[in-house]
Amino acid sequence: MRYALIAILALLALLIIAPPLLGTGWQYALINALIAALFAAAFNLLVGQGGMLSFGHAAYFGVGAFTVIHLMQSVEYGDFPFPTVLLPLAGAAVSLLCGVLAGFFATMRSGVYFALVTLALAELLHSLAPHWDEMFGGEAGLSSMRMPSLGLTFGSTLEVYYLTLAWVVICIGLLYAYTRTPFGRLTLALRDNEQRIRFMGFNAHGTKILVFGISAMFSGVAGSLMAISNETANYSVFSTQVSALVVLHTFVGGSTIFFGPIVGACVLSLFTFVVSGVTHSWMLYQGIIFVLVMLFAPKGIGGVIQAHIEQRHSLPWKRLAAPYALATLAGLMVACATVFVVQSLEIVLSREYAAAVARTGEYAPYTVFGLEWRVFHPLTWLFPLLLLVPGLYMLRRAFARIQTLWDNDESDDDGDIATTPELMEGGR
Amino acid sequence: MPRWITTATAVAALGVISPAVQAEPLKIAIIESLSGPQTSTGRLIATAAEYVIDQTNTAGGFNGEAIQVKEYDNAGDTSGAATKFREAAADGAHVIIQGASSAIGGQVTEDVRKHNIRNPDHPIIYINVGAEAMELRGKKCHFHAFHFTTTAPYRTVPLMQVMSEQGHLGKRVYSINQNYSWGRDMETAIVDNADRFGYQVVDKVLHEVNRIQDFSPFVARIKSENPDSVITGNWSNDLLLLMKAVGDANLDVTFGTIFMDQPGNVANAGNVAKGHYVAHSSNIELLDEAGTEAYKKATGHYPVFIEPTTLNGVGLFAEALKKVDFEGGDINVDEIALAMENTTFDNGLGGMHVRKADHQAVIPIVVSQVASDVKYPVDGTELGFKPVKTVAGADAIYPAQDSCRMRRPE
Repeated sequence: MRYALIAILALLALLIIAPPLLGTGWQYALINALIAALFAAAFNLLVGQGGMLSFGHAAYFGVGAFTVIHLMQSVEYGDFPFPTVLLPLAGAAVSLLCGVLAGFFATMRSGVYFALVTLALAELLHSLAPHWDEMFGGEAGLSSMRMPSLGLTFGSTLEVYYLTLAWVVICIGLLYAYTRTPFGRLTLALRDNEQRIRFMGFNAHGTKILVFGISAMFSGVAGSLMAISNETANYSVFSTQVSALVVLHTFVGGSTIFFGPIVGACVLSLFTFVVSGVTHSWMLYQGIIFVLVMLFAPKGIGGVIQAHIEQRHSLPWKRLAAPYALATLAGLMVACATVFVVQSLEIVLSREYAAAVARTGEYAPYTVFGLEWRVFHPLTWLFPLLLLVPGLYMLRRAFARIQTLWDNDESDDDGDIATTPELMEGGR
Repeated sequence: MPRWITTATAVAALGVISPAVQAEPLKIAIIESLSGPQTSTGRLIATAAEYVIDQTNTAGGFNGEAIQVKEYDNAGDTSGAATKFREAAADGAHVIIQGASSAIGGQVTEDVRKHNIRNPDHPIIYINVGAEAMELRGKKCHFHAFHFTTTAPYRTVPLMQVMSEQGHLGKRVYSINQNYSWGRDMETAIVDNADRFGYQVVDKVLHEVNRIQDFSPFVARIKSENPDSVITGNWSNDLLLLMKAVGDANLDVTFGTIFMDQPGNVANAGNVAKGHYVAHSSNIELLDEAGTEAYKKATGHYPVFIEPTTLNGVGLFAEALKKVDFEGGDINVDEIALAMENTTFDNGLGGMHVRKADHQAVIPIVVSQVASDVKYPVDGTELGFKPVKTVAGADAIYPAQDSCRMRRPE
């Protein structure tokens, strides 16, 4: 616990010190990562802790965003003074209200039916919004400008970054504190056995509505922060893409652990920022990562980290070092081969390349990894194969070895099967 | 990005060491949808814009340096566009080109406006080559935004005029459009011009966007009104399925459309499309053959759909660059913007220029008919767009909106 606290404080210090040294592009990417992290944490309150998978959380995110943009507009035109730093409170309040209303209906059912109701409610907003120009601004959206507050102009991205950081840290702190309260425990019980809650004398429906509302409220804060940072809001924020992205972040990060979705959201947002600047196939890579995580680490990135932390005293680290190094190397080889093939195809199958071939009549060499390759040269296609086949073989061997070492450790353990990580099981 | 930054730091370092003058290269950022569902349009815009800049660079570049172009993938959403805008601004971009969506156009033009208020020493120009929302030229207009594409009334008026002259408009006009800002802009334009071209709007329908799979109930409604022509701003599936449903019902009406020339439409509709009208800002049939062949040689295809608009817009920008000279010193973006206001550019169909009041480009509009006797058949069919008449920009354009209050630099 003490280590965890030190780690969190170190991370916080880094998040405070580093951004002024980065360009505005990176600062903005960090803002988006923080917002995504808060959104995922709020979403996970419902999914991971409450056991209710919502497919329409974009609705509450968007409601927060539009509330704040309207408020910002009235501040900008001088109709209503409201400090910029407190804007997310308004988004939170309206989203809480909407969340409680929607939650009342959605939580009457559970499982797939619950998911479908949330999806339907979000779609309702998504199809209503483009018809209502005064409220949602039509296709071009609504726009406003941040007004000075607390002696800060909020003109620079850096100031917005610190505002976002403060709100995200406070909200994630509150969400974490929530899990420690008796009501937080009740939320977990809701996931594990709703029937029992009822028998214990609690109002299950009321509890679910409240959990839904709180999750929507924090999603609203995330949406507010996005409106503050973008200074615009557009009805596309209600789209299923937004709802799907938060599901993706949560499950890649691991919904069973509190910090999992936060890690997942940060990793994937920054991954998108970096990789989308390099290749147009970044969505493919994102999809591959999702599939791999679901197949081989169903508890997500957070689950893998947590399994290691929990077992840190009993794992034979010295004997694990070699297979871990081998797995890393093999993983890199497979990744290189995949990236090589995808990038080669992206270049060779592009319109520009086809036009160049038509113009010059020859298949010009192209560049991947800083080297030139010829399309019809056997080496070009042998190269990824030479990486892929041994890579996959080594990966299998390394994981088999890692599995044995983890399992051995389990037999040494005083037979407590329940704490055995399911990390390397490749499924349940 | 790294290359720009290293060049920039190298330039800065040189500046510190020796006072030798190093020219500032002009940087253009193309913030487009280069992955995701709108990729096809985004790709066309990037290709056409880069083609024009390549030509300028071949002719010696600008300010003694080659113009630098960089593509930024906004992934088709406004948040992605906001991220990429900040990245481009950090990279020192002077000009931003965008066009595949009005939603993203709204984000970019507002980001540019706020950036210019906050950084008056490093303003950025926004060149819009495809976002057609009226609001971008109205409430959201500003000095550094230039709109080289048309809007709903800008295309509707010449479309109606030519269809009326050809006797295909008739007295009874049916209006069917998508229920969002674009479709409503279209409907307003159709209703507003009833007296001018002497027709009656027999019915007007707004329907859901890209959700309807079967248009036969709408066609039944159209049939019951017995119109002479149907005017629609529909695009993509909404246009295709509507035309097919009309074809299946053996309804004899002429369609006046805005987006018939979207790649794939004619192939999908087949002979149903024959005889229908489209109003667009260029038609390859009228262009100089050498130019279109050169374009095909460089890019692998003839300029289609949104590409001519992009060629026009970026072409006028390149022409304006010839009027300013910073003699290898710092680039003054405001001067380029002022030059763009005073530049006339021949786009092959006539002169085009930018209207000062709202920075809407005044471009001639070509009204064409889908026909088989054409020089450039499209989509692998024998059909193509046969130009009927070119309407001069001044005759087609709508009046500048009152909501546009542009603050000009001192």
